[in-house]
This record gives sequence, structure tokens and C-alpha cells, in this order.
Amino acid sequence: MKKNTFYLSGVLILGLLLVFVSCSKKSSDRLHSELLPLDGNPLVSFRILLNIGSANDPFEKEGLAQLTWSMLANGGSQDLSYKEISQMFYPIAAYLGLNVDKEMSVFTGQIHIDNLEEYYSIIKNMLLNPGFREEDFIRLKTNQLNFLERNLVSNMDEQFAKEILNLAIYEGHPYGHAEAGTVESVKSLTLEDVRAFYSEHFVQGNITLGLAGGYPADFPARIKNDFSALPTGHTPQLILPEQKIPDGLEFVISEKQTPATAMSMGFPVSLSKRDSDYFALWIAVSHFGEHRQHVSHLFQKIREERGQNYGDYAYADHFIQGRAKFPAQNYGRQQQYFSIWIRPLANSNRHFALRQALLELKKLVQEGIPQERFELIRTYLLNYTKLYAQTAGERLGWQMDSTYYGYKDFLAETQERLPKITREQVNNAIRKYLNCENLFIAVVTQDAQSFRDALVADTPSPITYAGPKSQEILNEDMIYEVFPLHMKGRNIRVVPATKFFQKTGVPKSE
Amino acid sequence: MSKLVSFALCLTLLFSIPTALHSAKIFPYDTKIEILENGLKIVSIPLDNPFIISYYTIVRSGSRNEIEPGKSGFAHFFEHMMFKGTKDVPREEYDDFLTLLGAGTNGYTTDDYTCYYVVFAGQENLKNVVKTEADRFINLYYDEEMIKSEAPVIEGEYYASVSNPSRRINETLRNTAFDLHSYKHTTMGYLEDILDMPNQYEYSKLYQKRFYAPDNSILLVVGDFEHDKLMEYVRNDYGPWEKSNHTLVTPVEKSQTKQKRAHYDWPSPTLPRLTVGFHGPAFSDETIDMAAMDLLAAVAFSSSSAFYQKLVIEEQKCQSFSTSFSDHRDPFLLIFNAVLKQEQDLPDIEEEIFKELERLKNELVDAETLANVKSNLKYSFANSLGTTDGIAGSLAYYINLTGDPNTVNKVFDLYEKITPENIQEMTQKYFKITNSTVVTLTEGKGQ
Repeated sequence: MKKNTFYLSGVLILGLLLVFVSCSKKSSDRLHSELLPLDGNPLVSFRILLNIGSANDPFEKEGLAQLTWSMLANGGSQDLSYKEISQMFYPIAAYLGLNVDKEMSVFTGQIHIDNLEEYYSIIKNMLLNPGFREEDFIRLKTNQLNFLERNLVSNMDEQFAKEILNLAIYEGHPYGHAEAGTVESVKSLTLEDVRAFYSEHFVQGNITLGLAGGYPADFPARIKNDFSALPTGHTPQLILPEQKIPDGLEFVISEKQTPATAMSMGFPVSLSKRDSDYFALWIAVSHFGEHRQHVSHLFQKIREERGQNYGDYAYADHFIQGRAKFPAQNYGRQQQYFSIWIRPLANSNRHFALRQALLELKKLVQEGIPQERFELIRTYLLNYTKLYAQTAGERLGWQMDSTYYGYKDFLAETQERLPKITREQVNNAIRKYLNCENLFIAVVTQDAQSFRDALVADTPSPITYAGPKSQEILNEDMIYEVFPLHMKGRNIRVVPATKFFQKTGVPKSE
Repeated sequence: MSKLVSFALCLTLLFSIPTALHSAKIFPYDTKIEILENGLKIVSIPLDNPFIISYYTIVRSGSRNEIEPGKSGFAHFFEHMMFKGTKDVPREEYDDFLTLLGAGTNGYTTDDYTCYYVVFAGQENLKNVVKTEADRFINLYYDEEMIKSEAPVIEGEYYASVSNPSRRINETLRNTAFDLHSYKHTTMGYLEDILDMPNQYEYSKLYQKRFYAPDNSILLVVGDFEHDKLMEYVRNDYGPWEKSNHTLVTPVEKSQTKQKRAHYDWPSPTLPRLTVGFHGPAFSDETIDMAAMDLLAAVAFSSSSAFYQKLVIEEQKCQSFSTSFSDHRDPFLLIFNAVLKQEQDLPDIEEEIFKELERLKNELVDAETLANVKSNLKYSFANSLGTTDGIAGSLAYYINLTGDPNTVNKVFDLYEKITPENIQEMTQKYFKITNSTVVTLTEGKGQ
């Protein structure tokens, strides 16, 4: 009865934000599968993908998807305790990994063919017959709470700023909480909640069984047969509310004791990899801020020319780094956002670097991509993306993402489409999807009040250098340091770091 | 054939990962080694995998080489300077070359070595990669202004991880445990030395002359290319690189005679942390000391061990527990790391670690568990060989230690020979309380 009341009230409140539909065209109630057989390859990769993520968390039960899937990946099965599983995994160097995002979660594994049968027999029971033991629940719930209360706000400022940006962009939206949830919601989670979430969502139609490598020919059928024991059915795809466009520059500043300022900024965009415009915008954003590469324009302006920090990047959609510096797979979302990541820099330079990033964005929006950069970046992406899928697991991941975004093979499509894109198309995409006036800006810094005051007053923010600089750079600095941001005081929220993640949304400013 | 078709075709080809565990050697690839007259060693591993080549340059110089006061972090700083270009190929041109190539490229610095890599598609590009890489190693050019401009980037890199308590506890452990050896500082270096880097132009030239030389470097190339072609290019382009003949003498650490302790106050909420380090052996592929320590770490403290299970899974006093017994050219530390849930448990966990080590001095490890560990090490290594990068990165780690790619096979042969009695003997040798350093980190006012 209590459970029913909870779900009913949750649905009623969420109903203001989103509507569940009974079925979408591509959904079915049965298992899906993606296979990539590679005869003779001694490694077998698993990707068991769920189209369920933290956006499916019930109201006031934020963090439940992560805790539930974590109970499968990091807890015991009905016949084996987690201790026994750890001991069986060890000699065969096995693991069951887990990534949880807003609308997708994926269990991953890679095993040598020698040990395939043993490994599969263990993970099969972890996923299909989870133990849901109290001791596993307490351990994993405590870890999740510690992540929110201690690690995220105190030990990883770059990630902290990114999470604040997510809170700001998606306030009042199903994406608007960390995958780990909130302190208040996680504290309230019970083992009963976990069981119920598993029963509701770990059903055939939500699952894609992904396999790559030199597995035996009959193996996919066996897995499919085993997973067919799950109930049929699927969770309807979320109908998400319109994304919120920021009103001017909207700051959320977290105050904490730190010698360095971390910043992330961005805004929602109305496209994703499934749109043909994506390829044009991709060229623009790669030029502006390719992840961890010197080719990034922001990297050149902020790091290479001025030595202010370790790197500065931009992204056309949600980006998680996978192997090496390539994008990870299986983070598909219906809605996307553009973002800029300014890595930590001395507090004294925060205002200057912010102005620099925003002025460079303004130039991109107003002037578009220079011709020589357009040609360079297009060739770059054509070659660089050939490195994206080197392992069997990565190739499988891209194959699954291709299906999600409606392509036969997204990377092959990239090879076909990029050469045909014109500079005009790139500049049209820039004008259509990017802007330099309406951004959410997340900042983790010390003495936030003085930063706020400087922002409101548009105080000039010159920087100094250890050595001489060219006149060209100094002249440019004179423009950066007074670049007006036209801030309104009401658009700056200053919040102590420890107030974040207690409840859903951006905490009230003090 | 269109680009699309050829790209798709290459993806259908099979990456040639041998079934490593059935072969006599853990590293199963046909490895060719050649040495140029100037001392440059080339380790070449041609594979019939599709399309990709990993081109690694290993300079056997890391923060271990920073033996002079005030120079901590310099190996890492110099790694940054290596991207400044040459008179023939200035930085912008070098960047554009890599950009057009679509290469994955960067460098990293460790305690013992610095590694530069270019990962790219298409063997038709190999000639230009060899030429460009040889040029920057032989003809690197930068002026004082470029040094002053790059130095603050290191400060920025320092800031990038300033909010990570693991880094702080590691810095404190090394600084406390070592008195003389350059392992006293981290690869990043002391902040005061980082702040002084803009003034180190002259020293940078000395550093380059001493260590960025063919007799201190190894070229490691893995992937889709022909060995003879590679050697033709390498002989032509790296031939003029001049030898250094420099010999590094690292300070010898005196034996520690009593336990050392240190504490760090973290300025904001954090889980309490405990790190215990013991002075351990240098890496060797001949004597068993370090190999026995690797096995001990896995038998007694890995996630499958009774010790780990008790602390992390059953009693749940620790959020995580790990060991770091990393291989180094000179004697380094055998490190235990615990992240606790409550500060009050710090003394208990410390006692548990020492108690477990005492037990291991008196009891032999279980033979079956030892066999499981040997199995884990083999399968873990095989799992790392899934890409040209995986092969090159794994091999670079071992090549750095001795200069010999066969070291990886020798060390796995050593693992096979090690008995429970060997492990007990080595435990008694290294895990003495007087040889230990204990560092704690808890939430406080900061320092």
C-alpha cells in the first residue's frame, strides 16, 4: 500500500513535467541484441544496455536507478555472495562494469575466451537473479552518499562544476539531478525501492544484449534464451519537457576554500547525433574546443598563448571520456547541451578567462569558422574518428549507439558525410544552434562574493605574466579584460559548496 | 574504392590478438630489435591489424633524474617543451601536421621515464611521422620567452588536481619517507619549484643535453607497417642525433631506522584516508624480490583477499582499500591506501595492516590462492593487449625499466617460479615497522 501511494504521488507530481506514453515506434516488449562476431579473437566483450537511467528515478527517489544497477554489478546474486563473486572473478581477471547516465545504463565486461563459460554463468545470475542482500545495500548506499556529500563537493572540483552546470541547465527537468541522486533522496531509499525498481524496469523490452569477439556461434542464442526468462514489457520512453533557455548569463557559483577556480558553462541545444546538422556543428565545435587536443581554439588562446591552465575545450553534446581521450559510448540522450570546460586556473585569473571564453564564443557565433580552419578540421575529424573504435568493445558500443541514433554505422556515416559538408553549412549550424548571450555558467571558487561583485560591476580584469608577451597578445588582452558581460545581480547565485546535492535542484543562494 | 568502403572494410578485419595464454611467452608478438650507431634502440612490432600504428618514443628520464635541489618537476616540464617545434617545423606547423593526420598524440611523464606517442591511421603516413618526430627530438627549438610562457601551464596542471586528496597524501608520503632520493618528490614537483620554472631556461638546455639523447631513448612502434620500411626511415632521420654519454648517479637512500608519521588537514569535507609505505626493492627481472612483492600484494590485499573482504565488504569500515607496489628503477615504496568511512577507525585500520603483515611473516600463503593470482596476472596482461596502444603502453612500462623488451617475459617467468616460502621470506625482509611511514589525512582547517 505504501509503495502504491508513493508511486502514485510521484507520478502525479512528475506529471507536471513529463508525460509517459504507452509505446514508441521502436520499442518492443522483447529483448534486443547487437552482435559483432570476430572469429578467432580470444577476447569476448559484453555490453548489456538498458534504456533506463537516472531520468527514470521516481520523484524523491533520485539515485534509485544508480543504486539498483549498482546492486547488480557490485552485489551478490542469489546463489553467490559478492565476496564469493570477487573470489571467482579474480583468477580470470573478470569484472562487471557499470555506467549510469540519464536515459541509459550499461553493464560492461571483457573476458578471455578460456573463461567465457565461467564468467557468463556468474554474471547471468548477478543480473537475472540478484541477491539484494541487506549488507550489499548498506555498503553501496553508503558509497553513493559519500560520493555526494564528500567526494563530489570536496575532492573533484572539475567534476563538481560540471554537475552544477547540469543542475542549472536541467532545473525542474528529469535530467536535473546527479545520477547518484541527492543526499536526502538516497538516505530515504530502501531495499524495497530497489527491488521494485528492478522488477519494473529490468524487463526484456528495456534490454539490448551486446556481444563482440570470438564467442561460440551458439552463444548469442543461449544468452537470449536465458534473458527470455525476464518478464516481457518495456518502459515507455520519457517525453521530456522543453529545454530551458537561460536568460542572459545565469551564474551558479559554489563557494569553497580552494586556490583554483573550476568552470563549466553551456546551454541546451535542439539537436543530437541523429540530426544531419550534427555533422556541421561537430566541425564547428571541434575547431572551437576539441577535447584534450591542441587543435582546440580555446586551448590555443587560453593555454598555449597565455599559459593560464591545463586545457580548455568545448562539446556539441554530452561528452564522457572513454579509452585514451576518445568519446565513451552508450551515453545516448534525447536532449543535448553545448558546453565549454575551462580547467582550473588561479583564482586571480578567473574573471579574465571567463571573459576570454565568452568573447571567443561571440566571435565564433558572429564570424563563423575561418576557411582554413574549416578545411583543416574537416580533414582532422575524418582521420581522428578512424581511431574511435579500436577494441571489440568500442566497436560494439558504437554499433549500439548507431542503432540508438538511427544509423547503420555512425562512424562510416561520418566518413561519408564530412567530406560533403561546406563551410556555409557549418556557419549556418553555428548560427542556428549556438549563441553567446544566454548561457548557464557554473563556477567553483573561493571568495565568491568578490567575484560576484566584480561580475556585476563589470570591473576590468587584467592579468599579469611571468615573462614578456608579444604586443599582439597584449593588445588582445586589453580587449578581453574589459569585455562587458552586462550582468544583472539577480542572475548570480552564490552557494556554499556543502549545500549542493542535499536536495534536487540548485540550492538557494545565501 | 571509396573512403567509406575502405574504412568499413578495415573494420571488418580482425585485430590480431593471439591467444596469449597458450603460448610459451606472455608477450607473444614477434618483436624486432635494432640499435643505431648512436645508441638509439628501435623495438618494432609489425602486426597485421587494420590500419593503425602506435609510434612511441620512450626517454628513460623522469622525476628520478631530478637530483638537484630546486629542479623537482623538471622532467614533466620538459615534456611540455617538447611540443614547441623546431626551426624547420615550428610549433604551429607541427600542430597542423598532427591535426591533418588526425593523430591521437600526447606525452606523459613518470618517476622513471617520459613517453611521447603518436597514434595514427594509415601506413602511408609513417614516413612523415618518423621524419617529424625525429626532427623534434634532434632539433627542438625554443627561446627563453617560450619557457616563461609554458611554465604557468604546469601551475595550471597542478591546479587541475589540487582538489584531489589522493595527490596530497601521496606527496606527503614521499616527502616524509625519503630523505635523499629524488623519489622524495612527485612527478609534478613541489609548488615552489613549479613557480620558479620560468627562470630555468639555462637548466632546460642542460637537461636536454644530458637526457634527450639516442643512448637514453627507445623507439617503440606497433601496428600496421613493414619493419624494413620503418628502419629505412629511422636510419635516415635519426642518424644525426648525437649521443649524450651522460651517467646519472641517483642519491642512495639510507636505511630507515624508525617509523615516520605525518598528517594532512584537508580544508573541506572528505573521507578520512590512511596511507602506509614501506621502503621496498628496486625492479628486477633477475632477482625475485619485487616479483614476490607483486604476488604478495595480490594474494593478501587484492579485492579477492580475506583482508580486503573483511574491511570493505563485511565490516565496511573502508570505502576502498588498495596497494600500490609499483615497479621502479631504484628502490621505491610498497604502499597501502585506505579510504575510511569514519575517522575514529583510523587507528584500527592501521593496526589491521600491520597485524596482517605480521601474520604473513609467520604463515605461508595458500598455494591455491597463489596459483589464482598468477592466473589473474596473466589474464589481466592479455586483456591489456586489445589495441596497438595497449601493446605499446604495456611494453613501454617494462622497456623503461631495463631497456629490454624481453623483460616482460622474464618477469612473468619469475612469477611462475615464486613459492609461498619466497613470499614469506620477502615479507620478513621488507615489512618491518621501523621501515614504515604512516600518513593520515582528515577533514580539518587546511594547511
